[in-house]
Amino acid sequence: MINFTFDGKAYEAQEGDTLAAALLRNGIGLVGRSFKYHRPRGIMTAGVEEPNALVTVGEGGRAEPNTRATDVFVYEGLVAKSQNRWPSLSFDMGAVLGLAAPIFSAGFYYKTFFGSAKRWMFYEYFIRKAAGLGDAPTETDPDRFSQRAAFCDVLVVGAGPAGLSAALEAAEAGKRVILVEQDSILGASLIRDPQEQDEAWIDATAEKICAAGGRILTRTTASGYWEHDLVTLTQRIAEPGQVPPNGVAQRLWHVRAGEVILATGSIERPMAFANNDAPGVMLSQAVRTYARRFGVVPGKRIAIATNNDDAYKTAEALRDAGAEIVVILDARPTSAGADSGFHVHNGVPLSVTGAKHGLKSVSALVNGETKSWNVDLLAVSGGFTPVVHLHMQAGGTLDWNEEAQAFVPAISRQKVKTIGGAANPEPIFTVAPVSNPKKSFVDFQNDVTLADVDLAWAEGYRSVEHLKRYTTLGMATDQGKLSNMAALGRLSEKQGVAVPEAGLTTFRPPYTPVTMGLLAGAGARDAGAPTRRLALFDIHQAESPIWQPLGYWFRPRAYPKGRETLAQAALREAQAVRTTVGMTDVSTLAKFEVSGPDAAAFLEIICATTVNKLAVGRGRYTFMLREDGFVFDDGTVWRLAEHRYLLTSSTGGADRMATHLSYVRNYLCPHLRVSVVNVQEHYAGIAVAGPKASAVLQAMIGEYPPRHMSTVPAAIGVTPVIVLAASYSGERAFELYVEASHAATVWAACEAEVMARNGSLYGLEAMEFLRIEKGHLVVGGEIDGRLTPHDLALDKMLNKAGGYIGASGLSRSALSEPGRKQLVGLEALEGTIPEGSMLIRLEGEAPQGHVTAAAFRIIEGGSIALGQLVDGFARHGEELIATSPTRNQRARVRVVHPHFYDEAGERYRD
Amino acid sequence: MTELTITALPAAPIHVFEIWSNAADVAQRFEAASGFALPAIGRSSGTNALTLIRYEPTVWLVEGDVSGLSEVLGEDGALTAIGGGIVRVLLKGQGWRTLLMEGGVFDAESPNFSIGCSAATTIDHVNVRLHVLSETSCLAYVPLSYSAGLIHFWEEAARDL
Repeated sequence: MINFTFDGKAYEAQEGDTLAAALLRNGIGLVGRSFKYHRPRGIMTAGVEEPNALVTVGEGGRAEPNTRATDVFVYEGLVAKSQNRWPSLSFDMGAVLGLAAPIFSAGFYYKTFFGSAKRWMFYEYFIRKAAGLGDAPTETDPDRFSQRAAFCDVLVVGAGPAGLSAALEAAEAGKRVILVEQDSILGASLIRDPQEQDEAWIDATAEKICAAGGRILTRTTASGYWEHDLVTLTQRIAEPGQVPPNGVAQRLWHVRAGEVILATGSIERPMAFANNDAPGVMLSQAVRTYARRFGVVPGKRIAIATNNDDAYKTAEALRDAGAEIVVILDARPTSAGADSGFHVHNGVPLSVTGAKHGLKSVSALVNGETKSWNVDLLAVSGGFTPVVHLHMQAGGTLDWNEEAQAFVPAISRQKVKTIGGAANPEPIFTVAPVSNPKKSFVDFQNDVTLADVDLAWAEGYRSVEHLKRYTTLGMATDQGKLSNMAALGRLSEKQGVAVPEAGLTTFRPPYTPVTMGLLAGAGARDAGAPTRRLALFDIHQAESPIWQPLGYWFRPRAYPKGRETLAQAALREAQAVRTTVGMTDVSTLAKFEVSGPDAAAFLEIICATTVNKLAVGRGRYTFMLREDGFVFDDGTVWRLAEHRYLLTSSTGGADRMATHLSYVRNYLCPHLRVSVVNVQEHYAGIAVAGPKASAVLQAMIGEYPPRHMSTVPAAIGVTPVIVLAASYSGERAFELYVEASHAATVWAACEAEVMARNGSLYGLEAMEFLRIEKGHLVVGGEIDGRLTPHDLALDKMLNKAGGYIGASGLSRSALSEPGRKQLVGLEALEGTIPEGSMLIRLEGEAPQGHVTAAAFRIIEGGSIALGQLVDGFARHGEELIATSPTRNQRARVRVVHPHFYDEAGERYRD
Repeated sequence: MTELTITALPAAPIHVFEIWSNAADVAQRFEAASGFALPAIGRSSGTNALTLIRYEPTVWLVEGDVSGLSEVLGEDGALTAIGGGIVRVLLKGQGWRTLLMEGGVFDAESPNFSIGCSAATTIDHVNVRLHVLSETSCLAYVPLSYSAGLIHFWEEAARDL
């Protein structure tokens, strides 16, 4: 026996029981309350289509609300709770809403809640309190969710007799086969109705499939069918709320199939009559399943209502199990069932009366008269709806099967076919409901009655799509699996047309609810973003820096000492660079090695500056344009050897630059003799900057370091490095590039020399202070893709010979007209300049620009900034207001030249 | 649980070998110098000292001793070091094919992906190059910055193959 609890009370289940079976085994028929009217609800089905028996399973972060009791298998310690009731399931105060049902008709919200959005927020609070399903857990889910790809020649969905046979045939033909079954065991309808193909046949078939190399996945639902025969499967490795054996609770499979065979069967339909939602009204096949599979008979005195032959199998199963079949109500006018040996009447149910966990009686219209029987269970069968969801998701069409009164799969534009019961539903006899439409439920989960459908029709909702949205029919977790055909039948009756002419709503994935964790997969805790780690991560981590996410990278923002704040640490670090020496990790910069006889020609297409005049051992600042002439990135280009260059560009734009280079190389210039290789990760980069940087370098490489914008190969110990004399800080500075696997050695050597000179490590915050004071640009700040070289005062550096990407776009006259935003410096006259603030002349006037980056003068103090300002070059000296209304911050500023430090560039040189 | 070990191997010299002109001549020079032919797309070939894996029509990944390859290329191509940015991760055990399906998009379970085959694919958002060494081992070339995350991802996934 397996122990579990429901609403805090302990019960026992048998191995293999679903929660629904276990509850019925313990005599529990009342399982939940309905969404809107809080009507008592029981267990209607034995499958994923269950609309009523929704419970919360599990506790804490593992709690899974709205779990169908018919779709969770009991495990030791399972904790289940009923939903949408207060204070208890038996005595639910919310049930008073049922008394007011007449005013909660279709379109109630639309007709009632008028007024401002603010008033709706007031209403919404009470609506959410009164209605709804289970509560989402607030704790973090402790489990992992896997996403796995799979490929096969044939994917078979559904392991009933048709699916098993199809999978076996394909596997024995040498095809790669995947067979999926949403149940925990194979067989589907064979479990309920063993025929010649019994349990032994199921086991033998499964063994043969596996022996032929096929893969069988149970507890796995094909939840979505996408383009190119991609099918997503959701596999439950652990049951809802259960501790998974290896940490993985569920797996989302992405299966790319050569062919898909759908053996998805059909879903039995309920019947519409008064109080047809009461506990004790169940679908006929479900009752049979509980009796034969689980050995649970949910009633003792049982009535059956049907319009087809299948329900007689239920009668036989129940009789075999010892129950009394009080009456069979067969809607068919002929003498169907006359020789069945049961009490059969030609009639349809009118209503039922109920007790807490089952029924008291059923009344029916028999030959024009109302008759009543005392029963505790009514098993109904209103026909069968083929499961065509995946076929439709695949872009298939449907045909109407008049005999079965059902849609069946027709053609598809993908490689999918449907077999078995889903393609050939049983014939039925349709009878229009005759009982009180206000109590006859069509959609059990959303409390939609026949009267609601009638009202929507009366109010002019003709389209089935409008009807769905107005009444909420077919929504929520069951997505109308039981309700859609009944509603369509009623709508077509109103329209006076055949069902196919009434229309059909869209079938969208997922077929059954999918947890958010499964969709997020392994990246759930990182919001799906991978993390890129610096080669020197461990060394930085030992200094306990403040880490800053930068794209996927994490970089040290500052290295606080003692109780320093970020601002204090960054200012100390920046002052060290201005007065002695600092070092920082610049490994994330984009780096490309460009080799070949045509390397210079290639770079002159990429870069808007000249390249081919660079001597070996020299480098220069450069920038790149989009084809429309706007600057999109900048960096440096270095001639390492006759036919070998190193191109650097921004960290944030690295992937974009790699794509750009690949495009130019492969599509625009396939004729060039050049190789472009991304070496961003090959080289770690260490920048050393400050008045004592040359001394540090000389101590490390044993020779006087190269002059500004020159490069030399060198060695630190036995480790080869490339030394680039380049400065982003405004001081004499170098960048050392070393193979990442040797970076730690070079960092340690460099740090020793820097610290010996009272230097400091510095992070991104100090780097930002330094570059703003110097007036250097950053991609994503000043270079935001909207300014031209002229706007950024870079036009004097343009390659006058042209030929670079963007040269034509740049020649457009509109790009040199007045009124464009241009790069400016800003210094505060009073207050601190808010970063990102708007630049205005007077309060109330439209903004004329904005602050792109703000900082403080590193030595002298005082707030400074860079910004974009309309016609900014001509407005130096003008006073403006930098305002950030959202932060309630403002400062008076003066427009100045965007270089606050060493404008002549003398500090680059020793 | 399927037995599988995931091991980051020590750094090794890895280069990009790219041909931009006279491919047939280069191929002849290469075979004459190394004793084996340049591998076809999606395949590898080599010796204990030198392995070439072809990932793109004109690009090979080279692992091992590259001395002499610059001469083979001459003016028809270039050799560029990239080994500092790549971590070689050895996946050893029966479950390596299944492991590569986790977060993957490539059919590593295909019988056609056999010894000597290679592929460039994406696994858990990371660009990875794969090289089948044997029925029970595969070498993955992983970008350094993503390697810690991907190895952790694989270790977690390996617990539930």
